[in-house]
Amino acid sequence: MKYLFLIFFSFSLLSCKTERKTPAEILQTGDTISVTHAHGFNIVQYQGYKLLTVKDPWPNADVTYTYLLAEEGSEIPRELEFHHKITIPVNKIVVTSTTHIPSLEALGVESTLTGFPGLDYVSSEKTRILIDSGKITELGKNEAINTEVLISLDPSLVVGFAVNGGGKTFSTIEKSGIPVLYNGDWTEESPLGKAEWIKFFGALCNKSDQAERLFNEVENSYNEAKELAAQATHVPTVLSGSMYKDQWYVPYGNSWSARFIEDANAEYIYKETRGSGSMALAFESVLSDAGNADFWIAPGQFGSFKQLIESSTHYNRFKAVKNKNVFTYSNTIGNTGGVLYYELGPSRPDLILKDLISIFHPSLMPGYEPAFFKPLH
Amino acid sequence: MANSGTYKGILILLFVAVILTAFVNLSLGSVTIPNKDILATFFGGEVSNDSWRYIIMEYRLPKVFTAILTGSGLAVSGLLMQTLFRNPLAGPYVLGLSSGASLGVALVIMGATFFGGPLAGLLLSKWSLVIASSLGSLLVLLAVLLASAKLRDTMAILIIGLMFASLTAAVVSVLAYFSPAAQLQQYVFWSFGSLGNLSWEEVIILTIFWATGLLLAITCIKNLNTLLLGEQYARSLGVSIGRNRLVIIIATSLLAGSITAFAGPIAFVGLAVPHLIRQVIPVNDHRILLPAVVMGGAILMLVCDIAAQMPGSQFTLPINAITSLVGAPVVIWLLVRKRKFLF
Repeated sequence: MKYLFLIFFSFSLLSCKTERKTPAEILQTGDTISVTHAHGFNIVQYQGYKLLTVKDPWPNADVTYTYLLAEEGSEIPRELEFHHKITIPVNKIVVTSTTHIPSLEALGVESTLTGFPGLDYVSSEKTRILIDSGKITELGKNEAINTEVLISLDPSLVVGFAVNGGGKTFSTIEKSGIPVLYNGDWTEESPLGKAEWIKFFGALCNKSDQAERLFNEVENSYNEAKELAAQATHVPTVLSGSMYKDQWYVPYGNSWSARFIEDANAEYIYKETRGSGSMALAFESVLSDAGNADFWIAPGQFGSFKQLIESSTHYNRFKAVKNKNVFTYSNTIGNTGGVLYYELGPSRPDLILKDLISIFHPSLMPGYEPAFFKPLH
Repeated sequence: MANSGTYKGILILLFVAVILTAFVNLSLGSVTIPNKDILATFFGGEVSNDSWRYIIMEYRLPKVFTAILTGSGLAVSGLLMQTLFRNPLAGPYVLGLSSGASLGVALVIMGATFFGGPLAGLLLSKWSLVIASSLGSLLVLLAVLLASAKLRDTMAILIIGLMFASLTAAVVSVLAYFSPAAQLQQYVFWSFGSLGNLSWEEVIILTIFWATGLLLAITCIKNLNTLLLGEQYARSLGVSIGRNRLVIIIATSLLAGSITAFAGPIAFVGLAVPHLIRQVIPVNDHRILLPAVVMGGAILMLVCDIAAQMPGSQFTLPINAITSLVGAPVVIWLLVRKRKFLF
């Protein structure tokens, strides 16, 4: 097929020298919708349609996906190349990560959600009501999506995510004619970059302006908090992560969660480290590096000091444990057990930052009620 | 055949090697601690840094003991199984003990997905994993004992053990398929094995099991020697095969079960150490083999732990990968060099 096309193409060049126009020439120049922090996607608005490009659907991906978003009945230049054409606004959508749900709610389009894998993980209130009244279908667990159920729902599109290349499930779904759009919000490392993916959903729901407005609010709120934190004179040291057996798993210094510590004007013990995922360190080195850290945040799954000490007596050696300066987000859960931080955190970095500032510099935020981080019981 | 004097010499050498590797293991780790501080820790001198003292006394020392107990215990149970089944491929886990343990642990870690959130709090206590692992092993052991009471043939027990392993592996994979990434990760970490998270009290409990298992093994030394000649022959010499089999199975289960409960399923050591020792000491007399295997297992484990800690680096490697990485080439090299397989 490809060769046929090539032969035909070279013939057409030889015979009548028609010049194929590059998309750039076909297009009137489009308006790029501003995306300032996220590096994984961009949106360009043309006359009558938008092109949504996802650049980093998963780490080290060598593909870029282009999705054409157009309203019903609009003129599309025929020579355009794209992976999927989506009619906007979408009226039936399936998303696959809880991080996608707060964006839908903020844009007021949660009612378009028709199915989700692992409903129990969802805690956002408006969506929870829809689930409890049976309006959203369970699609199975994790990435093992039940394709039959999904296809029978016949959604306009599925917003998927892939850890390393598209899974078999997604290709089956695409074969059945349902477009799968890859969302790469989880690969973003900057707090505001993750939150900016609301514009991805804004484009799909034809609510770009509203998405822009919502994001600007979060951005301003984040920057104000950051400036407030900068006024603190004392910079405490912070440890994050937890031990499993005799290995510590800590976030790298360039990771999403470590950046909050820096912006909250505190010093992360491993701020110099670089990498993706989490770093496994020997217990001895963490004890000698961080034994005197003032605070310890996000100690894995532990909800109470009792659990902490039960799992390992070594924790008693840490100053943060002795002074009861350990804060976790795993105690803040929804009605069905989903951890709120995982769901709402990525789209509300301002809340995470304020939580941390109120922990590290309590005098700056008197009376603040934390959204995610609570002291260990 | 050399005389038993030579073997005594080798045994003494092995013992010295255990002591030496234990000291090297103590003095090496991610954090570099000067030798004078290590000595000061033990002989009541002035340690320049309090957390160093803690690391040595509360972390590295229990780890050394754990390494000695797991290495020797697994090696002994490997030897017992190889002799009982007269099969060089048998190891401490042929009875399906580790698969039973892994099923118990998988149910606790990943079963929470099915049983809802309240269980999640229990997961994090170390004891819950130890208990789950022990119960799993015990369940398989009971099944094996029932089977062995019914079966006259020892080989049938071997097959039954393998069948249990397949069954539990299947259940574990179904659980894994449905459980969230975080829990799956926890289970995977457990299956890597770990020597470094035992507190002193756990080390003491493990020691009690280890000693009991070892004593039972010592009581059947004479019968083990007879078993090598074949079951029929052993019967004609007046060995009670059934009872003997029972004692060996219980000894193995105590050793392998308790070690798996505390340190996870550590591969390879139990299978390989008896072969390594037979290559060095070419005898079939369990009076010599047993102590040699105890020390050989301890040495191998201590050396592997030194390698896994990667002294001076902040990172460590999973012990399970190292035991095979270090051990397998040694076994291959010995077998190729000797050109003669002793069993």
